[in-house]
Amino acid sequence: MDPHQVKIKLVTRDQDQALHVAPNPLYVPVSLKRYGLSEILNHLLETESPVPFEFIIDGTILKGSLNDYLTSNGLSSEAFLTLEYTRAVLPPKFLASF
Amino acid sequence: PSYDSMTEDRSIESPEHKRPYAEAQQLWLHADEATRDLTAGLSEQLRLILEPTLATKLRGDYKTGKRLNMKRIIPYIASQFRKDKIWMRRTKPSKREYQIMIAVDDSKSMSESNAVNIAFQSISMVSKALTQLESGQLAVAKFGTDAQIVHPFEKPFNTESGIQVFRKFLFDDTKTDVKNLVVKSLSVFSEARASGDSELWQLQIILSDGVCEDHSTLQRLVRKAREEKIMIVFVIIDCINDQESILDMNQVTYVPTVGGPPQLHVTKYLDSFPFEYYVVVHNIKELPDMLALILRQYFSEISSS
Ligand SMILES: [Mg+2]
Repeated sequence: MDPHQVKIKLVTRDQDQALHVAPNPLYVPVSLKRYGLSEILNHLLETESPVPFEFIIDGTILKGSLNDYLTSNGLSSEAFLTLEYTRAVLPPKFLASF
Repeated sequence: PSYDSMTEDRSIESPEHKRPYAEAQQLWLHADEATRDLTAGLSEQLRLILEPTLATKLRGDYKTGKRLNMKRIIPYIASQFRKDKIWMRRTKPSKREYQIMIAVDDSKSMSESNAVNIAFQSISMVSKALTQLESGQLAVAKFGTDAQIVHPFEKPFNTESGIQVFRKFLFDDTKTDVKNLVVKSLSVFSEARASGDSELWQLQIILSDGVCEDHSTLQRLVRKAREEKIMIVFVIIDCINDQESILDMNQVTYVPTVGGPPQLHVTKYLDSFPFEYYVVVHNIKELPDMLALILRQYFSEISSS
C-alpha cells in the first residue's frame, strides 16, 4: 500500500450538536472519496446507523477523491484541508443502497 | 569528500531556487537577535551532556607517579627491585568528538503551520551553541522531496554560513520524505565515520512539523540508525493554535479482516511516531530544555544498555 496522506479538519455549520465532531486534525489517505470520509465521520460521531455526509472544500462539493481535489487545484499533500460537512441530500435510490 | 547521494550544491551562480541574499541576511539577523539570550544556556547544557568530565582515574604501571600501587610492592621487593613499575598516574579524560547534523524540514506544510520562524531561530540557536563548544563538527541539511546538505561538516560555521543556509530554505517543497532523509543521512554519516576515529559520536537533530507518512518503514530505518550508533532525535515544531496541535491529531488505518471489509481504526498520530526520542515544541524558548532533555535521555539509555 502506498500511503499518501493529507492532513484535514472536519467542520460543520449544522445546528445539530449531535453532528458536531471534535476539532482534532486528521491524517487520512488522499485516495478517500465521499464515502470513505463519511465512514470516518460516522465512526467519530458514533452514530447508531450511518448518516450519509457530503463534503465541501473551499466552496466546492467534493466529487472525486481528495487527491483529485488536490491535483485539480494545484495543491500537494502538504496542504491542510478544511472539509465542511453536511448531511448528504441523496436521491432515494442512493439512500437505499447506502 | 563528496556525499554522492546528498550533494551540496557547489555551483557558483546556481539557477537553483534560493532566497535573495539581502532577505536571508535580514532573517539571520532577526533569528540571531531573538535567540541571543537562549544560546549560552543551550551551549552549557550541551557541554554537560556531550562532554562529560570523566572522573580522572589513577591507572597503570609506571616507574614514577602519583600513588603507589600496593599490589606491586611485594613483586618489587621479591624481584630485587627490578619490577619497578609500581606507580599509578592520573589519566586524561578522553575527549569525545562529535558530528551533529541539523536536518530541517523545507516542505510547504512548515509555512502552513507557521513553523518557519521557529525553524530559523532553531537553526541559529543550535548552530551558535555548537560552535561555542568547539569540539565537533556541524552540518545542516534540508529535506522535502529530496534531502540535501546545505552546510557540510568540514566547513566552520559563522554568520556568513548562516546567511547562506537561510538562502536555501524556502519552505515550499511539495513532499516531506523523511524516509529518504534518514537513508541518505545514514550514508553521509557512515562515510564520515570511515575516515574518522572510533570515539566519534554522530547525531542527527531533525526539525519538522512532524507530519510524515509511512511510520512503519521509518521505524525500521530508525532501528538501523541505532545499530550503526547514529543518534537521531526529532524536534516537532507544533503550532500555537490549540485546536490544530499534533498532540491531538488522529490518523486512520484500515485493518484487514477475515472475510469482510477492512475495519476502520482511528488512532492518535503520535502513537505510531517512529522516532523514539522526540519532543514537541511550541515556541523557541522551549527548545534548549527540550533538546537537552532528549539528548540526556538518549545518552543515559545507551550508556546503561
Ligand atoms: Mg511537510
